[in-house]
Amino acid sequence: MLTLKRTFIFSLRCLVLCGAAFFGFITLPASAEQPLTCAVTPGNIPITFTYHGAQLTVTGQSAIGDDLVVTISTEPEDALLKYKAKVGGLVWMKKGDLEFKGVPAIYLLHSTAELTRILGEAERNQHQLGYDALRQRVVIEDSQGNPAEGKWFDEYLKFKNKEMVYDIKEGAVTRQHGEEGNTYRASIAWPYQAPPGIYTVRVFAVRDGRVVAKAADQFEVKRVGITAALSKMAFEHAAWYGIMAVVIALFAGLAVGAIFKKGGGSH
Amino acid sequence: MYMYLPIALASVNYLVVVGLGLAVGLLSGLFGVGGGFLMTPLLMMIGIPPTIAAATDANQIVAASASGTFSHWRLGNVDFKMGLFLLIGGFAGGAFGVQIIKILRATGGADFMIKMTYVVMLGLVGSFMFVESLNALQKSKKASESDAPAKPKAAKKAGGFFAALPMQTYFEKSGVTHSALVPIVLGTFVGILAAIMGVGGGFLMVPVMIYMLRMPMHVVVGTSLFQILFTCVEVTYLQAYSNHTVDFVLALLLLVGSVFGAQIGTVLGRKLHGDQLKILLSIIVLAVTVKIVLELVMEPSILLSYAGGH
Repeated sequence: MLTLKRTFIFSLRCLVLCGAAFFGFITLPASAEQPLTCAVTPGNIPITFTYHGAQLTVTGQSAIGDDLVVTISTEPEDALLKYKAKVGGLVWMKKGDLEFKGVPAIYLLHSTAELTRILGEAERNQHQLGYDALRQRVVIEDSQGNPAEGKWFDEYLKFKNKEMVYDIKEGAVTRQHGEEGNTYRASIAWPYQAPPGIYTVRVFAVRDGRVVAKAADQFEVKRVGITAALSKMAFEHAAWYGIMAVVIALFAGLAVGAIFKKGGGSH
Repeated sequence: MYMYLPIALASVNYLVVVGLGLAVGLLSGLFGVGGGFLMTPLLMMIGIPPTIAAATDANQIVAASASGTFSHWRLGNVDFKMGLFLLIGGFAGGAFGVQIIKILRATGGADFMIKMTYVVMLGLVGSFMFVESLNALQKSKKASESDAPAKPKAAKKAGGFFAALPMQTYFEKSGVTHSALVPIVLGTFVGILAAIMGVGGGFLMVPVMIYMLRMPMHVVVGTSLFQILFTCVEVTYLQAYSNHTVDFVLALLLLVGSVFGAQIGTVLGRKLHGDQLKILLSIIVLAVTVKIVLELVMEPSILLSYAGGH
């Protein structure tokens, strides 16, 4: 009885899957030749004691002739930043807050060619590809809720670029035709400034100005070892952390003071 | 070459950081200043967030000033009695200053006040010390040229108002007599300013001891370090406990450099004349002032920053 039921459910699942595949085929006919795949290595980035960012390699297969766009972007969120302005016509100071609504904290994009050449504006906006697409969506307000000037998005990009967490490299994705069919490859520098977390890599296949297929993979950035232990202690056992910091500093100072006196008698 | 800082969330070249520690530790041993007014901006330049830079620097100064105090104590350069009175005033002033900051923050315009206080105080202290020690150096040169025997120093006794105060105390190490109220009040004043500016206040305390308490330069350095040690122990603990802004890895890297720097500074300081020390310190203070003024007046390349810094 039980086996019968299982078989039934199984065949039902198959039916659903087949249906999904069929409709997928209808909506994205372009992926007929070779399905788009995406794999990122390494899948785990440990934040060790000597961490200085990482090199990510994104590879996969794609249909012949398709352009490709690879992105690593976080979900849009609201970012509160302080801005500097001239005060009293003389000095530059932090003057107030600006809220940037609906922007990703991290946005890295690599593509086979210039985005404006391979994709229409509507498609770019829909899939949030390129800085202009981000600019379309962002709402910038000051602390009173008044809309701020558009130039502040340029300042935002400058700020994020300097932090290395925003970057666009057009033409950096390479394609090859070999034994494994059509493959692509993107080498992405992962900045140490990006906080630990789980990130999604997305690849978009582009043909005739439209996105025709999508694929994705994930990787995790995680603190390990001493780095993880210290940061845990700093936040969860703050008092002990403070005492440890003071005691070790005191001890180190006194020890070196004592050593110097003994070693350098002539001074 | 690179080391990841778990609290600052930054990856830094450790050679650069140890070098920074060495340089600032050297100044600390030489002049008896903590060096926070130099270190915090330098750390921000290599990508450390401002709040973490300031808190972690306090942790590092604990090591440098412990190292410096220890060797100055061996040389007989620490006036513990004076240090204690200054410390009492400093703690009271610090607590009061933190309240002033809160009021300023609430009314807005705190940043402007802080920056302006900083520039004015640094500028005044720097210029005064520079002019004064330049005069002293020229005088001593003249004196040696004429081969006249050095005049016995005038009895170190502050006259007038100071002498009329109660609780007159003789400070053996410094060889001065003051009312105990004088160091306590001066300590309070420095404590308030230090809290407002977010610095340890060594560069203010040193001139106060030289010119207002009339202590000899070498005792000033040792006593200042002693006083700074206690202030920074308190600051480190409070910052770690309530703000989680002390990056211990960064502090360790800095203190590896600074404890050695402090030793070298102490040794070097004994070879230099008091007025030479003063003029060097005043030049550094003036250079920092000019840098801050330039930063204020020139348009920054990046106009945005994360909230949370000050």
